[in-house]
Amino acid sequence: MKIAVCVKNAVDETELKIDSGGKPVLTGAVTRMSAFDKNAVEEGLRLKAAHQGEVVIFTVGPPESKKTMKEALAMGADRGVLVAGDPTAIDTMRTASMLSAAIKKSGPFDVVLCSEGSSDAYSGQVPPMLGEMMGTAFVSYARRIVVDGQTARVERSLEDSVEVVEAPLPLTASVVSEINEPRYPTLIQIMQAGKKPIEELNGDQLSPAGGYRQASTAAMSAQHSARKHIMIEGSLDEAAVKLVDALTKEGVLSK
Amino acid sequence: MVIYTPEHRRLMEMFEPARHQEYSDILSSLGGFMEKQILPISSKLDNGTASIKGPRRALFEQGMSQIPFPAKHGGLGLPFSVYATAVELLGAADASIALSVEIHNAVAEGVFRYGNDAQKEAYLESIITGKKLASFALTEPASGSDAGTMATTAEKKAGEFVINGSKMFITNAGEADVYFVFAKTKKGPSAFLLDAPNKGLKFGEELPKLGMRGSKTREVLLSDCCVPEQNLVGEEGKGADFAKEMLHGARIVVAALNVGISQVAYGKALTYAKHRRAFGKSISEFQLTREKIADMKSGISAGRLLYLYAAKLKELGHDYSSEASQAKVFATEMSLKVCDSAIQIHGGYGYTTDDLHRHWRDARLLTIGEGTSEVLRMLIARRELARST
Repeated sequence: MKIAVCVKNAVDETELKIDSGGKPVLTGAVTRMSAFDKNAVEEGLRLKAAHQGEVVIFTVGPPESKKTMKEALAMGADRGVLVAGDPTAIDTMRTASMLSAAIKKSGPFDVVLCSEGSSDAYSGQVPPMLGEMMGTAFVSYARRIVVDGQTARVERSLEDSVEVVEAPLPLTASVVSEINEPRYPTLIQIMQAGKKPIEELNGDQLSPAGGYRQASTAAMSAQHSARKHIMIEGSLDEAAVKLVDALTKEGVLSK
Repeated sequence: MVIYTPEHRRLMEMFEPARHQEYSDILSSLGGFMEKQILPISSKLDNGTASIKGPRRALFEQGMSQIPFPAKHGGLGLPFSVYATAVELLGAADASIALSVEIHNAVAEGVFRYGNDAQKEAYLESIITGKKLASFALTEPASGSDAGTMATTAEKKAGEFVINGSKMFITNAGEADVYFVFAKTKKGPSAFLLDAPNKGLKFGEELPKLGMRGSKTREVLLSDCCVPEQNLVGEEGKGADFAKEMLHGARIVVAALNVGISQVAYGKALTYAKHRRAFGKSISEFQLTREKIADMKSGISAGRLLYLYAAKLKELGHDYSSEASQAKVFATEMSLKVCDSAIQIHGGYGYTTDDLHRHWRDARLLTIGEGTSEVLRMLIARRELARST
């Protein structure tokens, strides 16, 4: 079974600084593999363990995205394909277009996996666009994937329910984080990942600009949340009564 | 909490300019593993509701102990500074696992430096991959830093050494598969590799400790304990020199461990200081809190630089005995101050919260263990006076 997994070299939101104007400081920000993408890589590796074959990692990004590629290779993927392009300068449709062209060029693949969204921008737009462009069946929010012959049985994690669908291979799917617990590569695997092959492709040649509607991000800022502070004074008994009153007034307790 | 910080990354860039990216990838992955698998159970290890065995095994599987040893012995062949930094990260995640692993690795270093080919073959790879847990047995009930006065004896009889005596405050005792034991033969203190189980090897009760409660500490009782002659490590009678040398390396690592403890206590204090309000404002706005924050942070940075400097000297083959001791004395005493300030900043909550005061309790061991501050000051002064002539 040939499995393609798409990953993103995302800004590490746990180390992201916000400037005084409320804007995220992206220059020099620490980047690493988008957290949810590890679940997609892990699922690809589990499918390979069950069916043999090959796991190939695809990413669109600048040269430093090789770092993220190496994280996936350290986990156990066989090789990588880096599509040169600047994700901050292209929109989600062009990203999907570059990925689909690269996957088709390196394919054919039986299964194409993505996470439901990246841990930085989290638009969630690339996976369904990619499914459409690949011309395969597409299943989103997968929390379990079982392949039997040429059919995949997929459990979809929806808000209040679980939907079970069957789809023929080749299949493109996005996975949710509950699908598995990603493995930690051992230190020796990290060191050996540097020796695995990474092919570099030119994104502009794969998907020339202008073919798609180009959306750009006008502004990005941190959400401002204001907390209400209520100070209660007095003796313990008085304070308790006042606290119950205040909580009732705020709608935390019902009358 | 992020254990491998941008500050570590920058230091790696300075200390290991050629391959810093690769080393940072390794340390960052290891830090991420510790954040998920070790840090969340650290408090449980302290209060006895979780066992050290599973997380320690998982760390060995990650390759933590393989870091500084050559590839031909199953190691990763990485610089000692990378290993010391890894121990700092582990000290931040859980000090008691860091102590257990650090002592285990000191034994591996002993086998690597002084063991013959057969001993390396039999022990080194299985120790650094964690298949065998190791323990270092030097201190006795009546001898510590004056190891030359040890009372444990080893008598040669028909192809074996028969060991009698006892070893005190031994980390990993009762759990380890192999003990690096020091005992006096006719030629003086000598080192032996003692496999467990052995009918002459018994253990005292687990010692109740102030801190480092996740790791097990017991007395090792040796009664007509027979060790094959081929398990004598290095030259007979040279054991005291081996112990001294092994402890120099271990002191760099102990300094790193204490920087890790300090880092986590400091992080908690900083968060608390920002959120706790008094007299209508955050206590981080008071000058006396700020003085503590400044001193804590400066101490941690200085301790980190000292252990990295000593590690680099060791890597480059220079004499590092004074620097290793400087790093240990400074970092362990700094750590006590930082953990004390963290308690002070937390006020009553600091004194009553296990998860906060355990950092001070953990740190308290290491101005004593692996060379007391007093003995190490003597060593530093002696070395520096000798260097100045």
